[in-house]
Amino acid sequence: MVSKITSYFKDSYLYKKFQAGSRIARQAFYDVIPNKVIENEKIRNGITWVNKEISTPENRLILGATALMSQPFIDWHNKSVDENTRKVSVCRTVAKIVAGTFTGYFIRKGCIKAIDKWSKLPTSVDKSGNKIKLTRLNTLFSPSNAMSDLSDAFMQYKNALGTIVALGVMTITNFLIDAPLTKYLTNKFVVASGGLKHDKSK
Amino acid sequence: MTNLSNLADLASQKFMSCKNYLYKNYGESPGKMLVHTGVLGWILSSAAQVFAIVINDKIPAKEKMFLIPQEFADAAINILSFYAVTNSFTSVGNKLVKSGKLLTPKLKKYVDEKQIQDIGKITTDISSGMTGDIRNEFMKFKGGVSIIFSTVGSILSCNIITPILRNQYAAKKQKEIMAMRNEKSRANEPVQVPKQIANEFVYKPLSMNDYQKMASLKFSGNNLKI
Repeated sequence: MVSKITSYFKDSYLYKKFQAGSRIARQAFYDVIPNKVIENEKIRNGITWVNKEISTPENRLILGATALMSQPFIDWHNKSVDENTRKVSVCRTVAKIVAGTFTGYFIRKGCIKAIDKWSKLPTSVDKSGNKIKLTRLNTLFSPSNAMSDLSDAFMQYKNALGTIVALGVMTITNFLIDAPLTKYLTNKFVVASGGLKHDKSK
Repeated sequence: MTNLSNLADLASQKFMSCKNYLYKNYGESPGKMLVHTGVLGWILSSAAQVFAIVINDKIPAKEKMFLIPQEFADAAINILSFYAVTNSFTSVGNKLVKSGKLLTPKLKKYVDEKQIQDIGKITTDISSGMTGDIRNEFMKFKGGVSIIFSTVGSILSCNIITPILRNQYAAKKQKEIMAMRNEKSRANEPVQVPKQIANEFVYKPLSMNDYQKMASLKFSGNNLKI
């Protein structure tokens, strides 16, 4: 039933016109970009390094670092709220970024490491180069369609599965660690920045 | 007993096909993986935030009726802006390499040798028919470019576009709530308020908790990104 509706929709005149229009627009966008061959070896090595070394934990670190450079300023220049709210907001932003990046990075790293430990293949060897004996536990997360544990694809698979597990873990630690840590750091930052005007609660 | 064993077999099969699916789909597309896990992260943190409101006994049912749709609206802004921006960036990065617009000297040599036509057309895929070392070179290069583009996209969406959008939305909501509170306090305390103060939203000093609550209506105070 669903496939019939989908194919009816896709065969419709309007959809085809929309698709053709979208293709022309996208092609026009790509036509503006000049063709480029990267001759510089350092840049090429940098791109290969990124492919090998940057995954979700590092991505979270980069997001955290750039968030510290942008979000507090966006909050501070939000003139639609009063100064005290802005101050707490900036402190909370910084606290949230610090807490979120800290837990986000380490939980992702930990989960990816755990998945790596339990995703061994027949090609896997230990540090001394000896073949690892496969057990039910250390092959728990091994896919059947992976050929070599040294391939980039297998490494990316472990990163993906580790991140998915980490996201599940972080749904809980979000409340157990991030939220109280954010609140604690916010209060510290507010006090360190001179407190709030007319605040009689302290 | 046989039923249990069948169930275990079925679960094992499903788990294996799930792992194989992840390997096939994300193994060669790390950029796509960053986008999808990023979206999943936003969905989970938003869902956790809604769940926290639902199970919080201290929030009256009437306020929950307001807070839950608001959380859904926040989640929609976060998820949509993240997906739209980051996914678009990743697609552009992938397309630049696949269509042959952005190449390494080895890939350029391959394209020239194979006399691949229509370089730079969005329908062109220089990787079709690629095998061996050149395919490895292509996959590594495409993976790196894809990660760089998705990272730039997520920085732009998480750290610039979303905070600005949410600040606008949250400031509007904050004013509405404070106006509602002031209406209530005016009804409860029939005290004459001096004219110059009556124009202000806040009549009395607020506690740190009040400020935290107010700030929590803004982007920075929204669900903690995981």
